[in-house]
Amino acid sequence: MSDQGKSKNSPVFTRRKFLKTSSASAAALMAFCALPGVSWSVENNILKVRTPFDIATFDPAFGSGPIELMVGSCIFNNLITLEKEKSWVWKLEAAESMKQLDPKRIEFRLMRGIMFTNGYGEMTAEDVKYSFHRIIDPKMKNPYAGDWAMLDHVEVKSKYVGIIHLKQAFAPLWNIGLPGPTGLIYSKKAMETVDGKMTVDPLACSGPYELKEWKPKQVIALKKNKLWKGDKAQFDEIQLFPIASDSTAQAAFESGDIDFTVISASAYQSYGNKAPKNARLLQYDSLFYSWLGINMENPMLTDIRVRKAIQMAVDVNAVVEAAYFGLTKPATGAIPPGLIGHRGKSIIPPEGDIAGAKALLAEAGYPNGIELHLACLNNPGVVAQAQVIQAFLGMAGIRILIDQLDPGTFWVLGSDASLGEKANDVQLYLQRFSTFPDPSFAMQWFTSDQVGVWNWERHRSAEFDKLNKQASEETDPAKRDKMYKRMQDIMELSGCYQFLAYEPIFALCRNTLDPQMRPDGYPAVRYFQKT
Amino acid sequence: MVSYLIKRIGLGAVIVVIAVSMLYGMIHMVPGDPLSVMLGPRATPEMKQELNIRLGLDKPFVVQLFRYFTSAMKGDLGSDVISRRAVTTIVFEQLPYTFTLILTGIGWAVLLGVPLGCYSAINRNSVFDKIAGIFSVGTIAIPSFVVAVYSLLIFSVTLGWLPAIGAGDDGDFISQFTHILMPALAIGLGWVGYLARLVRASMLEVLGENHIRTMRAFGLSDRLVIFKYALRLAILPTIALLGVGIGFLLSASVFTEIVFARPGIGKLIFESVIQRNYPVVMGCVLITTVIFVISTTLSDILTVILDPRIRENL
Repeated sequence: MSDQGKSKNSPVFTRRKFLKTSSASAAALMAFCALPGVSWSVENNILKVRTPFDIATFDPAFGSGPIELMVGSCIFNNLITLEKEKSWVWKLEAAESMKQLDPKRIEFRLMRGIMFTNGYGEMTAEDVKYSFHRIIDPKMKNPYAGDWAMLDHVEVKSKYVGIIHLKQAFAPLWNIGLPGPTGLIYSKKAMETVDGKMTVDPLACSGPYELKEWKPKQVIALKKNKLWKGDKAQFDEIQLFPIASDSTAQAAFESGDIDFTVISASAYQSYGNKAPKNARLLQYDSLFYSWLGINMENPMLTDIRVRKAIQMAVDVNAVVEAAYFGLTKPATGAIPPGLIGHRGKSIIPPEGDIAGAKALLAEAGYPNGIELHLACLNNPGVVAQAQVIQAFLGMAGIRILIDQLDPGTFWVLGSDASLGEKANDVQLYLQRFSTFPDPSFAMQWFTSDQVGVWNWERHRSAEFDKLNKQASEETDPAKRDKMYKRMQDIMELSGCYQFLAYEPIFALCRNTLDPQMRPDGYPAVRYFQKT
Repeated sequence: MVSYLIKRIGLGAVIVVIAVSMLYGMIHMVPGDPLSVMLGPRATPEMKQELNIRLGLDKPFVVQLFRYFTSAMKGDLGSDVISRRAVTTIVFEQLPYTFTLILTGIGWAVLLGVPLGCYSAINRNSVFDKIAGIFSVGTIAIPSFVVAVYSLLIFSVTLGWLPAIGAGDDGDFISQFTHILMPALAIGLGWVGYLARLVRASMLEVLGENHIRTMRAFGLSDRLVIFKYALRLAILPTIALLGVGIGFLLSASVFTEIVFARPGIGKLIFESVIQRNYPVVMGCVLITTVIFVISTTLSDILTVILDPRIRENL
């Protein structure tokens, strides 16, 4: 063995010195961590919540994503908001009273003393008028103007009183427009200073919190608004952390970095009944619903017998077991429980009928089966559903090729505007939507004029369209209920839809918190309470 | 030397143009309608058309590329579709975090890997050398995202020693230091092994050279021979590698920034591609390409400075 490099005068750097130095450093770090006062979870009155992504804009008119609403509802006010009792009901927020004067007029009276920050004064009926008119102003080109499509104008009667005039009766306004992101009220004076364009500065806050700072991709910090005179804000500060990865969010919760996070069904299942220390596992009903869509204009699927065979072959119970570990029930339609129009059961039994499906397929001219593509998002829960469906359809002779797609590709699959004729290539696809707590929002995407937009099944029905219009104008809940049930029957009988599940929301929460959730399943942080 | 520098910088500019053009084309080939994704599910056809025109997507590809480069030369990389914030602002907000992560990761890898390689070379075939070899190969084999996930589970979740997410509070060195430990470990660990093996091999080659033997024969101390003469030559391949390594670490940072929910350009690119946020994607691509080219150019220049043999041949 060569002694090259070795001599009496060894270099300063030795193995022993290396080990000594690194051990000392590690010990110092551990001691530092153990020092009192050095904590990785802040002990002040600060609520830390995970969001799946960062906020894009603070403008309520253009930011109707879940995060924008989460923040907007803390720093601004709606006239009314929604809360869950047996079903979703509205309650007053900025309004002292709300009165439906007649089907086309709603009177509101604002609470006095709601102040905007940065010296923009008190909230008045003029601010309400400005905020709502801005949504429907054609110059704004607002993608969410449809929420207020029936708004004619807002009349200001006095400083605090106004009347919302509708073009026609519109029951969904109480569940969608008024309590939703487009119903948030902001300061007219403040908006006029920026030419009506709010982006990353909310300008003037009026809610129980105001914006403290926004570090893009890191944190949105809200602090208590000293000018707020309503229900006491529970926390000195709310910090919202955009964490895209569910696993990271789980780890962050378990390490004490956050106090509340939504988790996946598989993560919930993996905990069993054992929540992390000082925390609990929660399961909420949400308004998410999922279904298997079948494009009736695709050449392979024009025959209704083929489509019905697909519907019949799917064992929905198995899909629910695979994707949600049996933690929810099969869906019976597009309208979740608790809403007007929810069906108690579907027409096609959820357990499926392989023999019946095979017979139908043979009758349609495919005794040896058929090969189809099933498109889905590249999300583990969704892929699990797709694989179960693939297995059951395979038993019926329908060979399925699963196309897992990233969101950018998936969300334009059936869009004529994006893909032209190629939009008709989609055959089967797995989809999930959420809705506001009004059935009109859930059903509007399945009308004839949505073909090639969101109606990727390309199902057209004059009766469906007529009922959809009538139901949104009808104010009698019993009549609306009947109409929406009939609409779902039409959907199912067309062979274009196999409803799968109403998706629950799973969450981890500190024992010191009493969280509130929104209808769309996202946390309503404004209303979180301390236990 | 000056003419070499000019040539090198010129070559760098050409590389940037070619790379960005290719990436621009690839991004536009990705399936999916960017307008729908950017504007959201309820955008009307009129809004999509207006955005299409605003972004210049209705123009031929070559025209789009030309306009992009001419704007970029003026420092205008466009604006984010939703927030309307300047892409330059968005990218430069995130860049320092990635830089810090990369420099910390590669910094500790150099601090550990180079001495490890030196010591292994000096004590060739010893027990230490063998253990270091196993350790080096082992760390090279483990993907950085695996290290990230396991370090998160061990140090944050199980032991509770380190924070799991974020980059720490601005202006608070201790907070930022503790937040960067695990991410830097994740991206640097593989480089420790890589550098150790590279330095070991280089050192062994240099220590076998005639001039080293001659210096020893003249009675120069080992410390002087190794650290002043041998290491200076042996480190040259490492410097060249580090220049390229910074580019690789930009991509490794994507996983690390996602796992640790750290801000940074890797995560920004990833999210922007998903969202088909073309202006931000292109801004990130341009800036990271420029960084890559600068780092390789600097390492080439440093090599020239350190190695007189190369200087003489210029």
